[in-house]
Amino acid sequence: MTTPNNDTRIGGIGWRGRGYRTIDTANLSTLKIMKTLKRSLITAIAAFVPLGFAGTLDLEKDELKFGFIKLTDCAPIVIAKENGYFEDEGLQVEVTAQPNWKQLLDNVINGELDGAHMLSGQPIAATIGFGTKAHIVTAYTLDLNGNGITVSNDIWKQMQENDPALDTDTPEHPITAEALKPIVDEAKDFGEKLPMGMVFPVSTHNYEIRYWLAAAGIHPGMYTSTDIKGMTNGDIELSTTPPPQMPATLESGKNVAYCVGEPWNQQAVSKGIGVPVTTNYDIWKNNPEKVFGVTKKWAEENPNTHIAVVKALIRAGKWLDATDESGAFLNREEACRILSQKNYVGADYDVLKNSMTGFFYFQKTDKRSMPEFNVFFKGHATYPWYSDGIWFLTQMRRWGQITEPKPEEWYHETVRDVYLPDVYLQAAEHLLEEGHIEKSEIPWETDGYKPPTDDFIDGITYDARDPIGYLNAHTIGNKDDS
Amino acid sequence: MSEKTPEKIKYRILRFLDVTGFTVFDPVVRLAFREEPRKQIESITKFLVVPTLFVALCVGLWWVVAPNHKTKSGEVPTPNIVFSSALINDTFSEREKTKESDFLLSGDARVQALQEVDTLMSELEAELATLKSTLTEQESLYKASLASQIDPIEEKLDALKAENRQARTDRSQSIEALSLEVASGRAPNSELVEAIRKDNELYAAGRQAENVFKDQIEAIRSDKFKPLETARLDVNAVADEIQFLKKRQAFLSDSNRSVKLEQTKDKLAAQDGKLADADDAKAVLKEAKSLVRLENGVERLETQQYASAMTIYLQIKRSLFTVFVGFLMAAAIAIPIGILCGLNKIAMACLTPIISIFKPVSPVVWLLIFQIIVGAFFPDPETHPFFLFFDSIPFINSLGINPALIFSACTVAMCAVWPALVNTALGVSSIDRDHLNVARVLRLGFWDRLTKIIIPSSLPLVFAGLRISLGVGWMVLIAAEALSSSDGLGKFVWDEYQNGSSFSFANIIYACFVVGLIGFLLDRMMIVFQRLVSFDRSESTV
Amino acid sequence: MSYLEIKNANIGFGPESNRTQVLNSINLSVERNEFVAIIGFSGSGKSTLMSLLAGLEKADTGGVYLDGQEISGPGPDRGIMFQNYSLLPWLSVFENIALAVRQVFPGYSKTQTNEHVERYIGMVNLLPAVDKKPHELSGGMRQRVSLARTLSMQPEVLLLDEPLSALDALTRSNIQDEIIRIWNEDRRTVVMITNDVDEALLMADRIVPLTMGPEATLSQAFDVPLARPRDRATLNANPEYRRLRTEIANFLIEMNEESKRLRSSPDLKMPDVTPHDFTTATSAAFREFSETDVFQLEQEEKAG
Repeated sequence: MTTPNNDTRIGGIGWRGRGYRTIDTANLSTLKIMKTLKRSLITAIAAFVPLGFAGTLDLEKDELKFGFIKLTDCAPIVIAKENGYFEDEGLQVEVTAQPNWKQLLDNVINGELDGAHMLSGQPIAATIGFGTKAHIVTAYTLDLNGNGITVSNDIWKQMQENDPALDTDTPEHPITAEALKPIVDEAKDFGEKLPMGMVFPVSTHNYEIRYWLAAAGIHPGMYTSTDIKGMTNGDIELSTTPPPQMPATLESGKNVAYCVGEPWNQQAVSKGIGVPVTTNYDIWKNNPEKVFGVTKKWAEENPNTHIAVVKALIRAGKWLDATDESGAFLNREEACRILSQKNYVGADYDVLKNSMTGFFYFQKTDKRSMPEFNVFFKGHATYPWYSDGIWFLTQMRRWGQITEPKPEEWYHETVRDVYLPDVYLQAAEHLLEEGHIEKSEIPWETDGYKPPTDDFIDGITYDARDPIGYLNAHTIGNKDDS
Repeated sequence: MSEKTPEKIKYRILRFLDVTGFTVFDPVVRLAFREEPRKQIESITKFLVVPTLFVALCVGLWWVVAPNHKTKSGEVPTPNIVFSSALINDTFSEREKTKESDFLLSGDARVQALQEVDTLMSELEAELATLKSTLTEQESLYKASLASQIDPIEEKLDALKAENRQARTDRSQSIEALSLEVASGRAPNSELVEAIRKDNELYAAGRQAENVFKDQIEAIRSDKFKPLETARLDVNAVADEIQFLKKRQAFLSDSNRSVKLEQTKDKLAAQDGKLADADDAKAVLKEAKSLVRLENGVERLETQQYASAMTIYLQIKRSLFTVFVGFLMAAAIAIPIGILCGLNKIAMACLTPIISIFKPVSPVVWLLIFQIIVGAFFPDPETHPFFLFFDSIPFINSLGINPALIFSACTVAMCAVWPALVNTALGVSSIDRDHLNVARVLRLGFWDRLTKIIIPSSLPLVFAGLRISLGVGWMVLIAAEALSSSDGLGKFVWDEYQNGSSFSFANIIYACFVVGLIGFLLDRMMIVFQRLVSFDRSESTV
Repeated sequence: MSYLEIKNANIGFGPESNRTQVLNSINLSVERNEFVAIIGFSGSGKSTLMSLLAGLEKADTGGVYLDGQEISGPGPDRGIMFQNYSLLPWLSVFENIALAVRQVFPGYSKTQTNEHVERYIGMVNLLPAVDKKPHELSGGMRQRVSLARTLSMQPEVLLLDEPLSALDALTRSNIQDEIIRIWNEDRRTVVMITNDVDEALLMADRIVPLTMGPEATLSQAFDVPLARPRDRATLNANPEYRRLRTEIANFLIEMNEESKRLRSSPDLKMPDVTPHDFTTATSAAFREFSETDVFQLEQEEKAG
């Protein structure tokens, strides 16, 4: 909001209509180099010798417009703008809130937006053609975790009845959906399927709530070639609701439970509408949440601008995760102040503050410390891991969004089309040279696959190198022959 | 002459009121000129004082009823909260303006402003510290009061829970025992069934009793502790101000245009030397490129403007612009086609089915259709000649013509076109036969007949139609902006709804008044136009 | 061959199967510079006759001839002055007339046009109201504007369609004088429609009654051999005038009764009841509304 813009039109009404292309011959040559030496990272970096001060890249485009959804995890984009990191790269960035994920994706595809805060599943789904088809790529993971599943007060009371261990102010975590199953079964006996909400068919929330339900034996429903709502054979009805409307749907009874990002779980607590039963940290520890997505065309036309944007985002992520010796966040309160401005997230500071400063209210009386509820940088969080992308592909196949069985290689190839660690590493190289980051903060040597992990609510091990095996390890959902 | 002048002034004022449709103030003017004071006072009482009292009554009712209706999204805001939300929006806008002027400040003025901000900052930081301590104090007070209220209930609840649990265990033991007896045939089956039934009933009753306590606790917790709320608001207000000052500091120092310009110019000067020092071809190329880049940077900085966030005033401006574009489009389509339909029965017959089918279509549908169509028209809006053309015209390029504007305006036009079209057709077809006979006797040609007889005679109806069109257009636009999130008041409302902050509800109601007021003014404007073209001087309905 | 002639004209309205004949075999000859008054009851088709003359209406059979040429449509050579003024309300008095003048005399320069317009406005004594809009004028003034407009076109034939029916007695006589004065000066051919016998006698050379519609037709004409200028004050004493007046009035009353007879269907038997006479006053009122129309009463009173 506050970054100056070399747009001479009145106020913020202006729309960057005059973005000019300045690809001169020198630029074209770098482009060529980039293409020929794409696989050879070291040589590629050599083509972009840093010149020693900020804003040294030959930008193809310097007026950009990014979109975001009103969720706390848009923070890196907002901070990169407010703290002037974009400006340091010579970029004039305007960020605008989008009404929903579909519109956001459409606006990126039609060029209204240069890039956006996207659900991790969005670039992948768009690239493979589930929903809107367009080749979207990402070079930056914005954050990890940050979602919760909230049930209505009524359901919570019934869950407490089913499991007396929950009937305290501070029940033991993680809470599984076991206590929910009898309620679902009972409703089913009456020929009723409990309605639940998630934010988008390819959102992490969809896969997370499905995972949580399925882990307790509740079938969340399958997508088929004819059922694009994903309700076939389900014990419940899971449908799409935009995040800001979630609390309202819970209140009106349109949903009895939902999975959504912050601040919409804390909002339910502060308004006394529902009870968050679990966070996605418990479902899958340190799962990737949002990414910064652009179209492939844009990435190819603006390689240097893309690097400059990622540079600014890395700095923003690092700023957000900065802690003092005791591990307390240094800048999160300020970030909340900025996010609570009405042109960003706009929710009350006190509501935003909860989860952002490392706490989470499960009930009004149940405030727990969750320092890793939002991870914006540490633990190599922002690197675009191939293994993260493959997890989403396995979930899309598990729930039938990918209708055909695919061979293992397909998973690896697809994710390479979408995730661009090269761009990330080039940006990091620049930042290292400029002294903004330290060497240990970037996984320089990785092949893009995290080691296998069993940090899931059901304890199943995920090894990205064996997606089919992982798929077959689950009881509910599609299984493929390897 | 001295007698006549006041009369003339009075007449002028009355005429003005008449044209603008504010005839309700007539008696006030007449009273001021001492014309039949009794009569004037009577009509002032009837038509000004009573309505004012009624409105005041409505506001009062609102004030009383609102706090009693608690929604989960917060209380319904009372008028004073709505008013303060208006002030908050104004502050937001003021701050944007301040930041803008800070950004553009240079020289001594900048240094001086920076000093002022610095002193203000340190004052506020001290204030924030005290406020924060008050907040902590209040928090502990609240906790204590909460505990004092809840603890006894909780104790009772725990006791009850334990009791119920014990009773249940006892019951299930006795049921078990009973089942053994039944199995061995010493007791009838019905007894066991009855016992299980009883157990379930007692269990439910126990839960019920527990819930009573739980609800009590919940009620106490959801009660707001006013001093704590106030302390929190105070802290937030000062913290926001500090945040704002921080940003000002940035705009007065590193982010200031003149400072940045200075730095870049320095670098540019240094770069000249670097280029001269470079010896091999590669280095020369590199330095020369940097030089050009720096030159571009200077050029860009010199014309750089502050990019303001969308304040409500900018949103209003944007909405007004969009509605006028849409309205003009509607008028440009409706009037010629309306005249054609009015003149030619066949044209009317051709268009009737189209009008009848499309007129009732919801604006939302049009919005989606136009969004898709306009999107397809301008696959790459940045390089599309249509927008490049607008960008090349001075002044026009500052209006922000973009696809969002076009499809919003198209939606407005599509919905606003019908009343104007139908009224124009009606105006033309219902032209007085005598007037047409005049034209026939004078043997006016088609063009003269159109411009001298038909159009002037249908103008009052045309304007009545345009007035309805503008009203419809304004209503449609707000919905369209909300749905498509294109800039304007509709987006303001939608964003507020999405924000879900404690002031969101008040902001939405504030926007409701703003939209209403602007709609009213637009309507008044059209009334004035309508009155100016109407030759029969008939009263316009309000 | 007369200057203006209607030859065996028929006009009807409605579909073939159910056609209402409004004017039936109309024949009329008007000499150059003659002032003819057509007198008839309301609804007898007078205005249709006028439209026929103006060319606004076309006859089903027969036709209208001006100077031997058949009329095919309206034109400024036959200046018609409409019953309800037909001024354009969005134009001022000046502009209303100027519109006609510019159309009829396209060769005029701007000053010529202005002079011409002002001359005719002066002729009807409306110079002070030259910039007023029609709605700011009284009925009589509007009628005068309408007259000025018609005259400003300098038509060969002046067609006046009940020009004075909507005016009060005083204004009426003023404009009557005005019309006669202008006619005297320019000596144009005038056809005037009226329902007032006195007016017709005062102004016309010849009076042609139109029989009751439908199927109205022109009956035998009455020549008015009174010497001009005719003075309204002394005319009443003129025996010739009185004779003509009685004759025409009687003719009209007779015509009215005959048409009533024709109109009442012979198949329909009227019930043999007499309304009870409560009071004379109410019975008078009752009669007024049940038996005759107001116009007829007026005619009878005048005739008496």
